[in-house]
Amino acid sequence: MNLDWSVVWTHRQALTHGALLTIGLTVLTMLLAVPGGIVLAMMRLSHQPLLSRASLAFVEFFRNLPLVLVIYWVFYVLPMTTDVQLSPMSTAIVALVLNVSAYNAETFRAGINSIRKGQLEAALAMGMSRHQAMAKVVIPQAARRVLPVLASTWVSLFKDTSLVSVIAVADLAYSAMQVRAQTFRVLEMLTAMAVMYWLMGYPQAKLVDWIHRKYGVKE
Amino acid sequence: MEFDFSPIVDNWRFFANGLGVTLALSAASAVASLLAGLAIALLRLYGPAWLRPLWVFYIDSMRAIPVLVVLVWMYFAFPVLASVSIPPFWAALVALTLHIAAYAAEVVRAGIESVRPGQTRAALALGMSRAQLLRKVVLPQAIVRMLPAFGSILTLAIKDTAIATVIAVPELMHSAETVAGQTYRPAEIFTCVMLAYFCILFPVTRGIDRLYQRLAHLGRS
Repeated sequence: MNLDWSVVWTHRQALTHGALLTIGLTVLTMLLAVPGGIVLAMMRLSHQPLLSRASLAFVEFFRNLPLVLVIYWVFYVLPMTTDVQLSPMSTAIVALVLNVSAYNAETFRAGINSIRKGQLEAALAMGMSRHQAMAKVVIPQAARRVLPVLASTWVSLFKDTSLVSVIAVADLAYSAMQVRAQTFRVLEMLTAMAVMYWLMGYPQAKLVDWIHRKYGVKE
Repeated sequence: MEFDFSPIVDNWRFFANGLGVTLALSAASAVASLLAGLAIALLRLYGPAWLRPLWVFYIDSMRAIPVLVVLVWMYFAFPVLASVSIPPFWAALVALTLHIAAYAAEVVRAGIESVRPGQTRAALALGMSRAQLLRKVVLPQAIVRMLPAFGSILTLAIKDTAIATVIAVPELMHSAETVAGQTYRPAEIFTCVMLAYFCILFPVTRGIDRLYQRLAHLGRS
C-alpha cells in the first residue's frame, strides 16, 4: 500500500473552505434555531390549546425523523409543492433549523418547567406582575439549566451539518469527498476529513463537559 | 400540482425490503452498542487504571466526529487500510456500533454513578465481592434508571441507519432514493417514507416513556 499524504496539503484550500462553511452553517443555524425554539416553547406553554397543540405536533414530528430525510424532503418536496426555489445552501439551513428548533423548544420548555411552581406563585403573591415574575424569578434560573443542554445541542448540530453534503452543499464532508473522487486517494482524504472534524469537535465536546460541570444542576 | 402515489404501490415489495433492512440494522446496532457500551463503561469504572485515558479518549472522539464520517471511513477507507472488502450492511453495522457505543457507555456510566456510594460501601461491608456488588446492588437499580436514555439510544440508532444510505445500504431511505430517481416522483415518495419513519420512531419514544413510568419505582432507593 503506498500512501501519498501530500494530496491533503495540495487541496488544503478546498478543505479549509469546507471547514469554514461547516462552522458558518452551525453558527447561522443556531442563531435562527434559538429564537425558533423560544417561540415554539412559548406557544407550547400558552393557554391557547390551538397554539399549544400546533407546537407539540411540530416538535414531536421533527424530533422523530432522521435529519437526512428532512434534508431530502426540503430539497425535493418544498420546491415542487410551494413554488419556492431554494439554493442547496438555503435548503440545508431550512432543514437544520426545523430540526434544531424542535430540540431547542423542548429544552426551553423543560427549563421553564423545572422551576418549581411555588416560586412563580410566591413572586405573584409578593405583588410582582406575571411579566416581572417571569423576567426576575423564573427565566434567570431557567437560563442556567438551559445553557448546558443548548451547548450539547450545539455539538450535535456541528456534527449534523455533515449531512448536508448529500445535497451537494460544499461543507467539509462534501469537499473532502469531492477531492477523494478526483484523486482516488481514498484513505488519505477520508482520514484527513475525520481528523479535521475531530480537531474542531473535540475541544467543543470538552467545553460542553466543562459547561455541564459548571452550570449543571445537581439534584 | 397533482400527486401520483402509484410508484409506492407498485414498488411496495422493494419498500418492504428496505423497511426490513432498516429494522434489522437498527436492532442489531442498538443491541451491539448497548453491550459494547456496558463493557466500555465497566472497564472505564472498574478496569485497569492505565487503560482509562484510552476509553475516555475513544468516547470523547466519537462525540466529536459525525456519524457520516465514521460510516464513510469504515466503508471506503478501512478496506484500503486492511485490504479486505466489507459489504455495506456490515460496514454500517460496525460504524454505527462504534459511534453509538460511545453514547451508550456514557449513559451506563451515569446510571452506575447515580447509585449512591453508600450502597456500594454497605455491600462491600457485608462481604460481597465486586462482581456480586455490581450484579445484585448497582446494576438492577442503574438499569431501570437508564431506561429513558436507552430509549433515546434506540431512536438514535433508527435515525442513524438512514444515514447509511450514503454507503448504499439497501435500507428504507436508500429504497426511497432509488425509486425517486427512477420514477421522478420524489415528493410523494419522500413524504410517504417520512411518515413511515415517524410511525416507527414515535411509538418507540412513547413506548419507552410508558415503560419507564411503569418501572420507575424499581430504580428508586
